[in-house]
Amino acid sequence: MEIIVPADNTLESLMLCIERGKINAKSPHPPDMKGQEGADELARKALDQGIPPQEVLSKSMVVAMEHVGVRFRNKEIFVPDVLMSAKAMSAAMEHLKPFFKSDALKHRGTIVMGTVRGDLHDIGKKIVAMVIEGAGWQVVDLGSDVSTEKFLSAVDQNPGCAVGLSALLTTTMVNMGTTVQKVKEKHPGTKVIIGGAPVTADFAKRIGADGYSADPQGAVEFLNTHCL
Amino acid sequence: MWLPFLRGTRVLSPSPAELRTDVASLRRVLGYRNGEVPEVVSTLIDEILPEVPPRIKIRCGFRILPTRSVSISHDSFSCSGIRFSSGSIIAEQLRKAETLALFVASIGGMLENWSKRLIEEGEPLRGYIVDAVASETVEAAAEWLQKKIESHVQRRAWKITNRYSPGYCGWSVAEQHKLFSLLPKGFCGVSLTPSALMIPIKSISGIIGLGPNVKRAAYQCSICDLKDCFRRVDEPVAALNES
Repeated sequence: MEIIVPADNTLESLMLCIERGKINAKSPHPPDMKGQEGADELARKALDQGIPPQEVLSKSMVVAMEHVGVRFRNKEIFVPDVLMSAKAMSAAMEHLKPFFKSDALKHRGTIVMGTVRGDLHDIGKKIVAMVIEGAGWQVVDLGSDVSTEKFLSAVDQNPGCAVGLSALLTTTMVNMGTTVQKVKEKHPGTKVIIGGAPVTADFAKRIGADGYSADPQGAVEFLNTHCL
Repeated sequence: MWLPFLRGTRVLSPSPAELRTDVASLRRVLGYRNGEVPEVVSTLIDEILPEVPPRIKIRCGFRILPTRSVSISHDSFSCSGIRFSSGSIIAEQLRKAETLALFVASIGGMLENWSKRLIEEGEPLRGYIVDAVASETVEAAAEWLQKKIESHVQRRAWKITNRYSPGYCGWSVAEQHKLFSLLPKGFCGVSLTPSALMIPIKSISGIIGLGPNVKRAAYQCSICDLKDCFRRVDEPVAALNES
């Protein structure tokens, strides 16, 4: 049974769908929203109602992902919940892609992200990337085992971007130092944030990174504060 | 003292059926320590588990070092002239050991690749759960191997300590290279990158103390300094063998 959502509630409903991980009408999760429209349908509906894409993004989708990030930080929800929200966000974002392409809608900025040289761990960084994307940023994900040269080349291609480095091993976090140094030498104004299990704020300071975050929302807050 | 029963390396290949995936532990690793697991997550776990056995190639092996080649101090231990700076947390647990078993357990790379593929194909939740299942499976393999080692030394009325791995309890992961230097090349199909990462990633290596006067504790997280470890438990939940 389709539940008709009042037009003025579309953005609110879209926000709720993203927060709860309700992707589309067919998706069975969450059980109490079974049969209802999901983020996919509601994003389309909002645009069809004439709501400006910027408003759809900033007043609904970004706010939803911010709530998700905060709840994850507070340990009220967990990685699977974040991933469900990210997928709902992604379904809604599909409808906004044409506006990004036509420049009618702009990302808040760009961040080049990667797991540093020697480290093949990727999942944690991908989760952070999804939350950052959900906050309205463009993410250029370079993957894992990324050399300093590859980071530099990506920064060259994305003027004004921020850089996010990830490492999961004490043996590879040392490679962050080299990358930070080279990025700062070539692009002195570039902000660099680092994260990963063995990384600390002290370590970030020691290697000259501008920020450290223990969770995805912290990375979003860093970008919104230092890179806009 | 050199005991012939301890000689050499052994490689064992348990069947997937011999390993029990601890679903409660899996839920804990996914974050749901106390609360309810969403239905979609439970459903995915139920869908994924039957698909795991054909995608794992379990290889477990160990080498028990000659007692004369092992010495243990307050913050390190030495094997065949190689000094491991394990830190005092681990060295203290090994203090009463006569010798050490070096071990490796691996489930191969297929689950890891499956997880990556799922994430790339737009199924991040399924991919993440597959990755967590792979982590639990290799833990189960290491647990299985530990019990085999325990049975092996019980024949001489010896006991075992808990297992300890580079990267935990203050022991640098870089010392993985030293550990593997005491094992045959490619032992259990595992190789090391220059940054000491094991390939396949879903592998566990480490040491176990052996001797008549050692014991295996039921709960070990309280001694470890990795406060944000994803496997950390706040209180004893696993009924391990108390020696």
